[in-house]
Amino acid sequence: MIIFKTFWNVVKKYKGTVLLYTVMLIVFGGLNMTTNESSMDFVSSKPDVFIVNQDPGNKVTTNLIQYMKNHSCIISLNEGKDAIDDALFFRDVNYVIYIPKHYGQDVMNGLHPKIDVKTTGDYQASIAEMLLKRYVEVERFYQSRVKEEEKFIKTINQTLETQTKVDITSKLDTTELTSVSRYFSFASYSIMAVIIFVICLVLSSFKEENVQKRTMISSMNYKMYNKKLLIASFVYSFLVWVLFILLAIFMFKGTMFTIRGFIYMFGALVFTFCSLTLALFISTLIKSKEAINGIVNVIALGSAFLCGAFVPREFLPQSVLTLAHIFPSYYYIYSNDLLKTMETISIHTLKPVLFQYLMLLVFAFVFILCNNMISKYKQKLDRL
Amino acid sequence: MKKVIEVKNLSKAYKTLKVLEHVSFDVKEGEILGFLGPNGSGKTTTIHCILTLLRFNEGTINIFGEEMKPDSYELKRQIGVVFQEVAVFEELSVFDNIDYFCGLYIQDKKQRKQYVEEAIQFVGLEHYKTFYPKQLSGGLLRRLNIACGIAHKPRLIFLDEPTVAVDPQSRNNILEGIKKLREQGATIIYTTHYMEEVDILCDRIIILDQGKILAEGTPNELKELANIEEKITVEVTNMTEKIIEGIRKFKTVDQVMFEEGILVVTYHKGKNNLSQLVDYLKENKVVYHKIFSERPTLNDVFLQLTGKELRD
Repeated sequence: MIIFKTFWNVVKKYKGTVLLYTVMLIVFGGLNMTTNESSMDFVSSKPDVFIVNQDPGNKVTTNLIQYMKNHSCIISLNEGKDAIDDALFFRDVNYVIYIPKHYGQDVMNGLHPKIDVKTTGDYQASIAEMLLKRYVEVERFYQSRVKEEEKFIKTINQTLETQTKVDITSKLDTTELTSVSRYFSFASYSIMAVIIFVICLVLSSFKEENVQKRTMISSMNYKMYNKKLLIASFVYSFLVWVLFILLAIFMFKGTMFTIRGFIYMFGALVFTFCSLTLALFISTLIKSKEAINGIVNVIALGSAFLCGAFVPREFLPQSVLTLAHIFPSYYYIYSNDLLKTMETISIHTLKPVLFQYLMLLVFAFVFILCNNMISKYKQKLDRL
Repeated sequence: MKKVIEVKNLSKAYKTLKVLEHVSFDVKEGEILGFLGPNGSGKTTTIHCILTLLRFNEGTINIFGEEMKPDSYELKRQIGVVFQEVAVFEELSVFDNIDYFCGLYIQDKKQRKQYVEEAIQFVGLEHYKTFYPKQLSGGLLRRLNIACGIAHKPRLIFLDEPTVAVDPQSRNNILEGIKKLREQGATIIYTTHYMEEVDILCDRIIILDQGKILAEGTPNELKELANIEEKITVEVTNMTEKIIEGIRKFKTVDQVMFEEGILVVTYHKGKNNLSQLVDYLKENKVVYHKIFSERPTLNDVFLQLTGKELRD
């Protein structure tokens, strides 16, 4: 029991660190809950369009202008070149359409008159461009088929009015799920940092050269001693997991008591185990407390940045994500993202998530293997 | 007396570098055996081999009549070690540190608490129980180090240079403590390169150099090896080669050295050496300020055996 008692006495010295990372997680989780608002409804976006009409009075031209009016905000401007350029520059208008002289007449004559445009190039402008292209394509399709002007206009309008009705059948509460996913992804940083930092520091105290010598010459079986240290490290890691799960339950009660919630918890447990094996491996490699501080920053913070714990993976460049494959956090965060968007949960749909967990276990196995090899080599070297 | 340790023909080498060569010695129950030698002479290596912290190439080591092996846990229960470097947890208080190291031997909580309290009292750290190692001075830290090594009341104690970099007060405290441990029945192996310490503390001394035992015996037996009866040191202002030659002609004089106003005369025997020398200096009108006579030291023994000073 003395090993456990001393292990916890030393851990107590680092409670400030555990508290710091926990508070960070709470703050991050809280921020996520308040800012992550999404809607199930589509709101159509109307671009600001200015039309320079050099073919006034023509019915075909007027119909084009009317179509644009229905689907965008028509802005009034001075028709001078500078005024239009300024308006585009200051984003007062997204798209400018120049309808040439005799446009309507030319269309009826089967010609393809050129419509000049000026654009800001942003997504609003692309909506306007899409509207114009759509109109012109329909107009060109019927210009050779319908020769009577009134009928031609009517046919164009009937065609353009046909809309596709899109119903969202998903019952997922994407707002809460996004928050849960972001919470667990950020928790990857907290879990890894708290486990590596504390376990490495505590074990470095136990494995300090002279303390270790004293232990080796004591009447305690050295293998048993190492086993007890290992069990204490497991218990500590498990408690860290419990702490972060309790926080998750407190913040996302609705999701955590569902199958999806349990899978999130299980994923966090697998990741905690993987972090523990990494911590044990680092503690075998490095004994200096100062170096451990640096290592925690490089591994925990570095992998958090590269794998999407802080910034969602969607916003990270592909090259960064490719590099992130070398960190366990990548697979864990990816599994959280997969769970977030998963419509139904079944063995089949869970396969990609379980694959990510398997990858974490592979990492853990590699860390254990390396740890055993290095510690055996070091033991041999110490007694030479 | 019963033999507590028997080391026979112990040899150790790092590749081609021999660090111990056929070292053999015994330690008897209740004695303090001093290991004297300069840094790098093989003192700590010998202890590490005995404690199975290091492998050795040749030889046998028996403790309490049994062969010492890495898994000799029953033997280890009776051994306490105080290493040269302070080996404690920075994160634990004085009490918790001693409790932990004692706990590696003693499972019973009640007994352990009593032992820890006794160890604290033994090294005089009663007022520092709740202090952390960083808050202790060098001397107090050394005392904590000793308490951690002896709290479980071992029958055999290894003390590896426990007084290095310690203030005189703490040093005296430590030396007094070692004597007390012996009085309580412990057998002690004490390594140091301070000859004064082994001189006043040890029953027997082993002088080591370059991994070999040069001499072994009681302090007096070793001093006889130096073949010096007396050494007289005189601080003089006027000295000529002729006067020095005159001193060299005395029958009992072994060696005469004069350097920077200090005259050192060593005698291999004789009873009235000091009065004879003073009379001679007076006759030759040599002005002297300080004069003192001393018995040979272990340093002289070491010098005699190796041709170099102990602290070279």
